[in-house]
Amino acid sequence: MKTRKSIWLAMFLLVAVLLVFGASRTGGPKTQQDRIDSITSVLACPTCSGESVFVSRAAAAESIRAEVARQVAAGLRSDEQIMSYIEQRFGGQVLLVPRATGVDSLVWALPVAALVFSMFLLVSAFVKWRGNKPTSPTSQDEQIVARALNERI
Amino acid sequence: MKSKNLVKIISTIVGIVIALFFVVLVVADPDQDIVAKSPLLGQPAPAIASETIDGEQFVLERRKGSWVVLNFFNSTCVPCINEHSLLVDFAKTEAINQNAAEIYTIINDDSSDAVREFFVKNGGDWPKVKDDNGAIAVAFGVARVPETWIIDPNGMVRLRITGELSPGLLSEQVNLLRDGFTS
Amino acid sequence: MFASAGISGTIGRAFLLVGFIGAVFGAFAAFTGARRNEQQIIRLIPRFSVLSFAAAVGAFAAMEYAMITRDFSLAYVQKVGSWSTPALYNFAAVWSALEGSILMWVLVLAGYTLAVSFWVRKRMQDLIASWALGVMFVVSAFFFLVSFFPANPFAVGAPGVLDGPGPNPLLQNHILVMFHPPILYLGYVGVTVPFAFAIAALITGRVGEGWLVATRRWSLFAWGFLTFGIALGSWWSYEVLGWSGVWAWDPVENASLLPWITGTAYIHSVLVQERRGMLRVWNISLLIATFSLTILGTFLTRSGVLNSVHAFSESSIGSWFLAMFAVVLVVSIGLIGWRGDKLRSPGVIDSPLSREAAFLANNVLFAVFAFVVLLGTVFPLIVEALQNRQIAVGAPFFDKLSMPIGLALLTLMAIAPVLPWRKTTTETLRERLFWPAWCGVAALIASLLLGAYGLAPLLTFTLGGISAGAALRQVALATRRQGWRGMVGRANGGMIVHLGVILIAVALGASNSYSKSQELSLVANVEANFSGHTFELQDVVEVRDDRSISVKALVLVDGKKVYAPAITKYTRIGMNVGTPSVRTSLTTDIYLTLEPPVRQDANEARIKVFIKPMIVWLWIGTALMAVGTVLAAFPGRRRKSTDATSAPIEAVQS
Repeated sequence: MKTRKSIWLAMFLLVAVLLVFGASRTGGPKTQQDRIDSITSVLACPTCSGESVFVSRAAAAESIRAEVARQVAAGLRSDEQIMSYIEQRFGGQVLLVPRATGVDSLVWALPVAALVFSMFLLVSAFVKWRGNKPTSPTSQDEQIVARALNERI
Repeated sequence: MKSKNLVKIISTIVGIVIALFFVVLVVADPDQDIVAKSPLLGQPAPAIASETIDGEQFVLERRKGSWVVLNFFNSTCVPCINEHSLLVDFAKTEAINQNAAEIYTIINDDSSDAVREFFVKNGGDWPKVKDDNGAIAVAFGVARVPETWIIDPNGMVRLRITGELSPGLLSEQVNLLRDGFTS
Repeated sequence: MFASAGISGTIGRAFLLVGFIGAVFGAFAAFTGARRNEQQIIRLIPRFSVLSFAAAVGAFAAMEYAMITRDFSLAYVQKVGSWSTPALYNFAAVWSALEGSILMWVLVLAGYTLAVSFWVRKRMQDLIASWALGVMFVVSAFFFLVSFFPANPFAVGAPGVLDGPGPNPLLQNHILVMFHPPILYLGYVGVTVPFAFAIAALITGRVGEGWLVATRRWSLFAWGFLTFGIALGSWWSYEVLGWSGVWAWDPVENASLLPWITGTAYIHSVLVQERRGMLRVWNISLLIATFSLTILGTFLTRSGVLNSVHAFSESSIGSWFLAMFAVVLVVSIGLIGWRGDKLRSPGVIDSPLSREAAFLANNVLFAVFAFVVLLGTVFPLIVEALQNRQIAVGAPFFDKLSMPIGLALLTLMAIAPVLPWRKTTTETLRERLFWPAWCGVAALIASLLLGAYGLAPLLTFTLGGISAGAALRQVALATRRQGWRGMVGRANGGMIVHLGVILIAVALGASNSYSKSQELSLVANVEANFSGHTFELQDVVEVRDDRSISVKALVLVDGKKVYAPAITKYTRIGMNVGTPSVRTSLTTDIYLTLEPPVRQDANEARIKVFIKPMIVWLWIGTALMAVGTVLAAFPGRRRKSTDATSAPIEAVQS
């Protein structure tokens, strides 16, 4: 058993090391197309219901894609600045990821709260059930049983 | 029974939430504002430059000193077609005004030929500006047509009207702005 | 009401009325017969189900007849019919818009009602069957009514119309439009059956395990078709929409995913109730949630409220579905409250290290997942209603939140199959997970060697490896014990479904993280390079037919295959549709789209190249899930009551 346990330990360490190594690797530098795709993925197409500019084939989305491509090619603005540029013209509704302020932050907070709350309920249920030890008969119970058996005889 | 109470509580809560949902949906009254919001209102108009379908240059900055009306247009969009006659009337009334507003059509996702054909058939001899990859539309934050924008002689955006124009609305708004304008 | 609607219109509407009457009478017969336990009344039920079904078939046939003969007196045919649409797409045009798809719902539901009434015909003494059929008739009547009033496909159109625009161009350029909606509806509508039985169980108070076991195959059937329908939708999205993705988290997709999430939780959780009589409230709640979500989903996608809150008051169809949703929830929760004491389970979960506990955790995770998807879908609606401003909640939100949930589910998938019932020790767990864990390590090493990077995908691959190991271990043990019968039955078929899910998870992880794309401006006969592949534009051609003008760019890739991405202008509607060109291989898909503007006879074209790894494994995984579902529907080894409930650790023959 001890060797098994140490094999498990070695396995965990191996996986941890490999994961750290893999997580720190990257797939190469971000190309301009990667920048365009990542920016357009977080912009909402203004004429669609929730589709990103990256996904949508609508005319408005094409125009915004073209504008983002122009600005990325010009290389003067960062991703955040390009998103702000579009937001300044189309309004907050063009951001696909709700900002974490005010009412909008609820959309992030509520799922986390739900997860935490449900985990809490789950854990407390398990603790409660674990505490249910099977009851053992008390001496009083055993007296009753002995009396009943005597009566039967 | 504890579970019975719990279920009663849950069902009441669910019932209230749905009822609220219903109320909220029914009561939400339609946006009566024809004048739409825009982060650009009161700001300098974007510096757009393009050419018209007749090949002339169009630079918005050079139009400073006059009132400018930009109409985003597409020859197949039904409200654009409907409001076209109102724009023609507006252009006629402005033509005799001293402080005439200049009207320009910005073509949105349409071919120059189709637009030219439409204007030949339906009138309107003001410049029609090309917007080939939608840069002007993006600069103004225009996603749907028709939209009509009013820019004052200082180059500031004053008004944004989304959707089809109603009769007299454009003249009324332009006159209002003109009267209130002090350079 | 019937005047001047053309023959098809009049007949169709009449059929709908007959079907509605049949459903109402059927419900009446079922409920009265069950209440009074009168077999004479109950015997009438099959007649009404036949009548309703015949009427639904008649109405659907009338609609198809009108569409095929291009009967433009009907408003619906004016909307989606056209002389220039090819026959196959014209047939499918019936379900391309709201009214026709509600009609299809009516047909499928009437079919299910008939099938169920046929299935229980020998057991009608069992009142649960009558109550369940009553519920199905009520839902049926609702849909007949919706099809009769707000979503009337036989409404009279404007006079003098001789041709129409045809269905949305996206719905007439791929054969999948014939399959995806009907298959999805078989699943979507099919969840009504287990729901009806759940309500019947609550009404009769017989909330034990009998109805669960009896309706097992119906639930599996509906779930299987729902899964397959969703997968077909993803495939269609990939092949047709041109953005190279399979899932965009848009409201229509979410509406189909929500019942799938609760339905998947149900088919797992029901095993606990069958084995130990526990999680009864969970199971009934999950079934009610699954059915209610189909109604809510239809409300969200058909009322237009997600585009704008104000759409709600513009058409009444939203109110109908919202009211139905409210009624379903109120009645169901009321019934649960009424039968609450009977639902209390006889046992408790003994230990967190048990299969019951794993299924409970599974339920919780799926419930949270459903909550996240529902919240994200309706949040813009709530904000707009409360603050009168528009916001968008899209893919980045859903992707970010579904990642940890997905990883947690993969972890459960790795551990649960080896967990025994009731309780176990960590030693047993370590023993059983030994080889699956090494599978996970092997998967991690293999993916690193192939160049994988990033914590989330690597975790996906590792957990996928462990889960695959656990699933294969189960199947191996079962086949060793029982031969070929080790492949069928719920547990083993389920393991094969798990294998399919793992393939899909791994494929999604790889394609979401490692896809590359690039826009290339190609000049004829000049080779361009990207990501180890060469692209050469050969020609730009134009293809015309009576409904579209298509400009195709012929691109030679890697000197071997010619791709033809295109932009098609549908002249009747004036809409441009881009058609991607995809070549699939076991490792990567090369996906090309043509970017506007493009001219025929030009010697240059702008294309966008997507290199998408592992996409084909999504479809292979789906196929495996389908195979596993079929295998799971077969009866497994008949278990003797004296058999151990878990596999012995050492094979000691006694």
